[in-house]
Amino acid sequence: MLMTGKEYIESLRKLNTRVYMFGEKIDNWVDHPMIRPSINCLAVTYDLALDPQYTDLMTAKSNLTGETVNRFSHLHQSTEDLKKKVKMQRLCGQKTASCFQRCVGMDAFNAVYSTTYEIDEKYGTNYHKNFVEYLKYVQENDLVVDGAMTDPKGDRSLAPHAQPDPDLFLRIKEIREDGIVVRGAKCHQTGSINSHEHLIMPTMAMKEEDKMYAVSFAIQSDADGVFMIYGRQSCDTRKLEEGADVDLGNKQFGGQEALVVFDDVFIPNDRIFLCGETEFAGMMVERFAGYHRQSYGGCKVGVGDVIIGAAALAADYNGANKASHVKDKLIEMTHLNETLYCCGIACSTEGYPTKAGNYQIDLLLANVCKQNVTRFPYEIVRLAEDIAGGLMVTMPSEKDFKSDLVVGKNNETIGDICNKYFAASPSCTTEERMRILRFLENICLGSSAVGYRTESMHGAGSPQAQRIMISRQGNIEAKKELAKAIAGIK
Amino acid sequence: MTVKCAVRFCGGCNPRYHRGMLYQEISEECAGMSGADILFEYAREDEQYDIILVICGCHSRCASYIQYDFKKALIISDYDQKEHILSSLLEVKNELEKVL
Repeated sequence: MLMTGKEYIESLRKLNTRVYMFGEKIDNWVDHPMIRPSINCLAVTYDLALDPQYTDLMTAKSNLTGETVNRFSHLHQSTEDLKKKVKMQRLCGQKTASCFQRCVGMDAFNAVYSTTYEIDEKYGTNYHKNFVEYLKYVQENDLVVDGAMTDPKGDRSLAPHAQPDPDLFLRIKEIREDGIVVRGAKCHQTGSINSHEHLIMPTMAMKEEDKMYAVSFAIQSDADGVFMIYGRQSCDTRKLEEGADVDLGNKQFGGQEALVVFDDVFIPNDRIFLCGETEFAGMMVERFAGYHRQSYGGCKVGVGDVIIGAAALAADYNGANKASHVKDKLIEMTHLNETLYCCGIACSTEGYPTKAGNYQIDLLLANVCKQNVTRFPYEIVRLAEDIAGGLMVTMPSEKDFKSDLVVGKNNETIGDICNKYFAASPSCTTEERMRILRFLENICLGSSAVGYRTESMHGAGSPQAQRIMISRQGNIEAKKELAKAIAGIK
Repeated sequence: MTVKCAVRFCGGCNPRYHRGMLYQEISEECAGMSGADILFEYAREDEQYDIILVICGCHSRCASYIQYDFKKALIISDYDQKEHILSSLLEVKNELEKVL
């Protein structure tokens, strides 16, 4: 049964999730002005699924139950599904101009589903059955699940078992008859506070010595021992200013990351999907990373669409839209944005079925996709800043624009002065000009820059991670043979 | 004879025109045309339709629709195809009436 956005928000209030920010426990985090914009993004993923104009992308028929489910909890059954996933993410990016957080869970579902199938095939374990039952529960209740992979990692030169503090990678602390106790943390967790559940995966390939770190399981957000510490973002406290609107740039939507701590948390057996089978940790990581790298060819493209529109509007409002260099910059932004989309579609089109039956993306092309995402958004915002002009970072506050404090010799108020000197094209009001410039400020260097820039760099793996995969998948030996054949080398 | 027409939208990730507005225009113009008598509703899998009108936002035409039960599909992917779709709707209606 699909929830509405409003029902989703109300469902969060029923959770006892422990959230901390600025050294304090936040009791009503659902309505906290710094957290609520990220919740609004997730609410959009629910509302779009119920709108006939968007259901073709936002929903799918579950292969597990035959029911219509939100595509964010769907197991991809074809290359068409893989392409629709990318298109869905583009749509959500367009509607929020933000990280909408629900894709990590979807990518984790697909990776864990296919990996557990192969673990059971080799070892006769029950992980796949456990996972299928879990995912049915998620689908039937239309839940948001945080896909959690990244450990704090400590000293990167040391393996998990060799760390001075054993908790720097999430580990199995104790194995009991009815389950396991885990201890550690997962960092950079996107949307974790807004999630009903968490699906944990190992962060890297593991050797036998790291057996206790090769673990995957699902746990409720408000389980005993789980708590979260909110991650600060650039300009985040603007959201606490009374009546803040124009100065926020994107008042309604935003991203969220948190440190999720597992303080001796008990996981029952039926929620365990990997427990010590180290040779499959790498498979789970690689498959999740592949899906998540594909995702960026959708979500960041949607946000890019909005940025291009905003830059074009800024040019209109500045009265500079006819300048040939402005037109060319918009062309370049479009070219870069659509190149990312090309990569998202390409790795989807070249997807293939796993042994479990769900479809995996083409790994090489997905890594190429993400490698481009680590670069192009930076150039896109650079060009947006170029077009917008310096005013986006120097203009007075909205309080000044609304101020009735008299300062002028002719009784002009601060508001009068601001509206006079920041007027530009007659095609817009000064406030409209300020709004679009503040939107660009927010996405280029404010709180939304977290989701568009740095997340583009490091989300789903830092640039070097993709270069390693491109190297592995690049098939250099076969290319040498091609060159030999053409050059006449026997 | 009243013809039942299902309406299915693509997911709208990159629409080149306003799909919802096009649907509204088509249904209003059909209501104003004599002999049209076409009943539009959003496609449902548990219903049978004479026609399915698939409104795609671009020429990718990626909307899924074969899961629905219909006799004839009409696909539009450009606002400029509106007049053609309107005459096609009438043509299909006339054909179905002849069959009956």
